[in-house]
Amino acid sequence: MIRLQWKPIASVADARAMLQTAIGVEFGTLPPYLYALFSIPPDKNAAAAARIRSVAMQEMIHMCLACNILNAIGGNPVLKPPKYPGPLPGDIGPPGGKPLTIHLLPFSVDAMAQGMAIEQPETPLEFPVVESLFAAAPPEAVTIGQFYQALDQFLSKLPKKAWKPGRNQIGDSQFFAGQMFPINSYKEAQKAIEEIVSEGEGASDSPLDFQDEVAHYYRFGECFNNKVLTKAKNPKGYAWGPQSLGIDWKAVYPAIPDPCKHDFSKEPPEAQAAQAACNAAYSQMIDELRLAVNGKTGRLGNAVRAMFDLRTSAQVAMTTPLKNKKLVAGPSFIYTGASS
Amino acid sequence: MSVLETPRILFSGQIAWDPIVTNNTPRFYDENTSEPVYPSPTDKVAEFRKAAIASVAPDQGGLWNPQGTHRSSFFETAISGADLGKGVVQDDKFVGSPVRFLGMLVDLEPYGTNSSQLFFDTMTFGIDGGYRIAARRSTRMIARYINFGRNPGGYRAGHGSAIWQTSFAKKDGLEINAFDSKALRALKKALEDDDVLGLTVQLNAYRTLYYNSVDVPEKLPDLSAALIANLEGGGFQPNPARSLMVGVVGLWRRGEPVHEPCDRTLLTTGNQVATAHARLTRDSITLDLSNSISEKSITDLDKDKLGELAVVAVDPKSGKPVRLGTFGYSKYDKDAYVRTSGIVTIPIKTKVPASANLQLRDSTDTVLLAETALRAIPVTPNLYMNQGDTRTVEFQVYDRGVPAKAGVEVTICVMSGDGSTVESTFQLVTGKDGVVSFPLTGVQGGIALYVPLPGPDPVRPSAKSGIDPQVNTFMYVRTLPADEDIAILPPTWENVYARVLANWHAMAPCMDNWLDLGNKFQVYSFRALIQKLTDEAAFEQYRFMPVTRDMTPGERVLLYNYLNGDPPEPTRPRRCLPPRLPTTLPPPHRRVSPSEAAPCAAADELSSG
Repeated sequence: MIRLQWKPIASVADARAMLQTAIGVEFGTLPPYLYALFSIPPDKNAAAAARIRSVAMQEMIHMCLACNILNAIGGNPVLKPPKYPGPLPGDIGPPGGKPLTIHLLPFSVDAMAQGMAIEQPETPLEFPVVESLFAAAPPEAVTIGQFYQALDQFLSKLPKKAWKPGRNQIGDSQFFAGQMFPINSYKEAQKAIEEIVSEGEGASDSPLDFQDEVAHYYRFGECFNNKVLTKAKNPKGYAWGPQSLGIDWKAVYPAIPDPCKHDFSKEPPEAQAAQAACNAAYSQMIDELRLAVNGKTGRLGNAVRAMFDLRTSAQVAMTTPLKNKKLVAGPSFIYTGASS
Repeated sequence: MSVLETPRILFSGQIAWDPIVTNNTPRFYDENTSEPVYPSPTDKVAEFRKAAIASVAPDQGGLWNPQGTHRSSFFETAISGADLGKGVVQDDKFVGSPVRFLGMLVDLEPYGTNSSQLFFDTMTFGIDGGYRIAARRSTRMIARYINFGRNPGGYRAGHGSAIWQTSFAKKDGLEINAFDSKALRALKKALEDDDVLGLTVQLNAYRTLYYNSVDVPEKLPDLSAALIANLEGGGFQPNPARSLMVGVVGLWRRGEPVHEPCDRTLLTTGNQVATAHARLTRDSITLDLSNSISEKSITDLDKDKLGELAVVAVDPKSGKPVRLGTFGYSKYDKDAYVRTSGIVTIPIKTKVPASANLQLRDSTDTVLLAETALRAIPVTPNLYMNQGDTRTVEFQVYDRGVPAKAGVEVTICVMSGDGSTVESTFQLVTGKDGVVSFPLTGVQGGIALYVPLPGPDPVRPSAKSGIDPQVNTFMYVRTLPADEDIAILPPTWENVYARVLANWHAMAPCMDNWLDLGNKFQVYSFRALIQKLTDEAAFEQYRFMPVTRDMTPGERVLLYNYLNGDPPEPTRPRRCLPPRLPTTLPPPHRRVSPSEAAPCAAADELSSG
């Protein structure tokens, strides 16, 4: 089992630091998920795209909920853009081993396996594959659930006066109805943690989350196996398939992996401009999010607009040939803003 | 019959509403010409948007959502129970499964409150691979029987509730994955009957909140000021409302209406209880009270205590009532309402004569609801036409919930769109199938209301107060002007922007999320997608553009002539760096997507609440 590196929480300052790590982990999952999503052309692989999109949206919510918790105990969220390829905050990885290195990968078996690795629960449920097309098993993964459980335990012991009701809270009045909520006490923090863990990993005995939706790990598993996770008469209650997700692994833009490592100075001007546009939109999104989670909640709408700009720019990038005309590059997710 | 028959499956949750509301007032929109009313002849889009933001202020009109998206989505919604004929059970395997819906809320008559509809593509109960009903749209969902007295403490339309209904035909690809769910198995089995055409989904939306607040009147100055500040700060700033809802999935049988309840209609008598529908069998009566009994407050949602209620059958000749059964508060209180979706079934032992009228009475014998036998229901409740089109419209007349016989008189009241004027009346008589029909020609742009009144000596709607949606059935007809003068304009960018695209650009700032409608290069590069989404054949689809369904034939001709013409600058690269948008904060890198991207795909999960 893979563990997140952390030290025991002994103070509110420790809890804040841990929440900051959690925010970084949630934020750090977005670029790899979005890179895979953006690499799927419109009207192709719709079922897979819908699953990845839904996971990415929930990761955004998780990040905002973690920010709400941090704000509620007097902290100030910092959104530090991650670098790829690289580790997630907290150096999550197998015990005694190297931290998991996260890559920006176009939609592929490897990208889905990476998603499973990020979202893997403590004890993943293993299901038989009905008419499996893939022999490879998903790789080892980290558990974010344990990380949140430790946080939950500490927060449950905080005195009432440690909570700062109404401080910089983002609610659901504009976006994510019913999923985002202010946190003013341990009760709401506990609910947020339960949602984050449940949506990511499911339950110990079920692949479904608290709303009976398929948890993130298993949504990536559906893509990885190219099978709908289906109720079945077996001891585990589910099987991969037999219904196919209909994935055509070739119906993907020919995007290079880890464009952040690529030297674009030798690429055509259009490709350079596409990268610049993506980075500008990404940077603006981060700048606006920073304002939103630190008290200027109205800026969330500006962050969302920037996210649409990122999507539009990514579509251009994914269709702009590189010098090797058989290849394109998706967004590098490089922050070029004020505090870069 | 209908959702009052068993098996039926129940659900509850919430729905978000995110309409753009600037077209709700003649100050900003002319519903006859289908054009915005620009506050200034110069820089008209920017000035329109500016005025729309200012109108959020309570003393400027209080328009609560100038930059919405029209999206409506369920949230926190799940299967809550099932009734297989022996009462509601909550231990079926299907219970707890999520219910998903995403639609576009559009009022056919933008100024009024009675013509709301939801355009959508699918509705899903449960999940892929699990217990599931997957339903592809057969027709749009329609709101009727608005109960304006439901939640007296509500702000704006928040005091009202409404019944929403649509039906899904088996032939349109209805799928049920039952596994070991007894409820789904029963439903699937029932669908095998040739008399069952598919499933009807009915929901009741109530306790609507604006600004996500239960005490808007007190907080309105602050709430509206905050919204204005957000809007002026740029970005994407929707302000969706939200309602609680209960719903039911049941059988849709041959002869039953698609869009609104049928069964036996028990009209309100104005004594606290709103119109309801009932189904009578040999040994039980089932009442749909989902829209009928108020919550005393919008915070605790306790139901009005009306005491023990009695269902009686009244002989129409003698007036003698026969008590069929009674039920107490525990059958219609807050918990029961959510558990049963407002549907109450009580056993009866008395045989009810076919000619008897049903009533609901309270313990003082006051009549709360009284049956009216004849109802005429439009086959197409909200009809769009183009000027010059001729359509045959039909009303199905029902007699105590079943299609009426031949020879029933029906008076048709033709009213102005706002219901303030009775413009004409004429009479028809049902044919052998219980249907009356007449041809309708779109003479000029505008909206009209057709109110069918079956039976002799009908009570006509009052021109003073308009129609009463609790009492009247009705059909709205919107005729879009031909705009032949626009069709013949030279297809230049200046013309197509001024006469077509500026309308959307001004009224739908959410379009900025994926396309700068003021940029000819972007518009041209999106030409294939724009034509696909504005194609009249796509009218019922969720993504149809413009979402408000008000593009005229002349505007479409001019737009297509432009899109099918030469590019704005033949030598310009296919991808370009467009200028900044006039009123929002797009980054300078905003670019054209050359692909047929699905617009606002991410917004589907973001903007609807």
